[in-house]
Amino acid sequence: MKYFAPKSLEELKDLFLSNHDLNILAGGTDVLPRWQDNPSLKLDVLVDIKKIPELIGIKESETDIKIGALTTVQDLKKSDIIKKHFSSIYEATCQFAGVQIRHRATIAGNICNASPAGDLLPGLYVHNAVIQISGLKGERVVPIHQFITGVGKTILESDEIVVGIVIPKSSIKSLFYKLGLRQSMAISVVNFAIAYEIDENNNWKSLQIAAGSVAPTVIYLKTFTDALFSGSDVDESIQLVDDEISPIDDIRATASYRSKVIKNVLMHIIKEIYVR
Amino acid sequence: MIQFQLNGKQVSANVRPGTTLLDFLRDKGYFSVKYGSDKGETGADTILVDGNMMNASLMLIHTVSGKNIETVESFAHGQDVHPLQDSFIEEGAIQCGYCTPGMVLAIESLAREKDNPNESDVKDVLAGVYCRCTGYVKPVKAAMNYLATGEPK
Repeated sequence: MKYFAPKSLEELKDLFLSNHDLNILAGGTDVLPRWQDNPSLKLDVLVDIKKIPELIGIKESETDIKIGALTTVQDLKKSDIIKKHFSSIYEATCQFAGVQIRHRATIAGNICNASPAGDLLPGLYVHNAVIQISGLKGERVVPIHQFITGVGKTILESDEIVVGIVIPKSSIKSLFYKLGLRQSMAISVVNFAIAYEIDENNNWKSLQIAAGSVAPTVIYLKTFTDALFSGSDVDESIQLVDDEISPIDDIRATASYRSKVIKNVLMHIIKEIYVR
Repeated sequence: MIQFQLNGKQVSANVRPGTTLLDFLRDKGYFSVKYGSDKGETGADTILVDGNMMNASLMLIHTVSGKNIETVESFAHGQDVHPLQDSFIEEGAIQCGYCTPGMVLAIESLAREKDNPNESDVKDVLAGVYCRCTGYVKPVKAAMNYLATGEPK
């Protein structure tokens, strides 16, 4: 096994040019267990991208916030900018694994791992995050819901990496909800984020809900939010959620439990937001 | 060749790429760092890297080049233990002891990072040490006693 730790994107691109099969390592909290579970995997070339400073940090401009791909979950949690503008993402960092893993796990790692239960994802979806990709063929920018295509699947090519995440600033409020089997170190049974604005007449000005662990990817509950938006009653329209989700049975919960619990909690929280 | 600080001493190691920090440390006799799982689920493998808690089983040795690693081996000198360790002993916050080094490091990193940490801060840093035959109450008490005075109660 060869180990490389490029110090810039240029050095990384040279590695892409001279090697065919690079195994990219960021925080390693998902990748290392996967490698250890599959001893037969051939890992010829290991590339530790954590030594590339340009991929770390949070920058604020007038219109948006740019988060470097390798910014850790703990750094997101400590950031006043994230807490101020994106409550749902901040709340997700507080419920994310334990401190040890938060110090290693990166935002791009959570996105590229593409787990349906990834805790940072619902907040990124409802705040319309955009993924910045860089590779040998150039740069491209893709909305997060188009970037993740299935369980563990993204549109990332083998000669590309995620370099940053851009989230537009707005006056939208958001919150995150996670149901785990315990308070910390838990993989979500169900999670979701809600981003909303309510006008002075207590009507929805905007509303977006993204839910995790109820489909192969995080999904927007669009039919449900459209119904609410057009003035339908929560107690009735909540049933529409069943048409949008496709939960499965796994070691953490059954599909039918997931369906019941997401509807119950969503209904409760939506009513709470109305009252606020 | 990888170079880093380990408990204040400069270390040079010629190690096969792919070796975890956990395997390296245990191989060198740092037995306070425990194997709990390969996935960082137990926190028994907790170490400090530049003062931050991390799981040694989730880190490759090559990634710590230039870093400062701490284990509880640097806290005690024979029977002469660190006041935080003493606080765990006084409170009886020890059962099998397998995870205790991880808890001690967690509390010490909190003590260095935050002035006057409260009980919820303590629970937050202990949450990642999920190996818990000791229970949930006594380690928090031991930590609070130490954090309040810098000494065991």
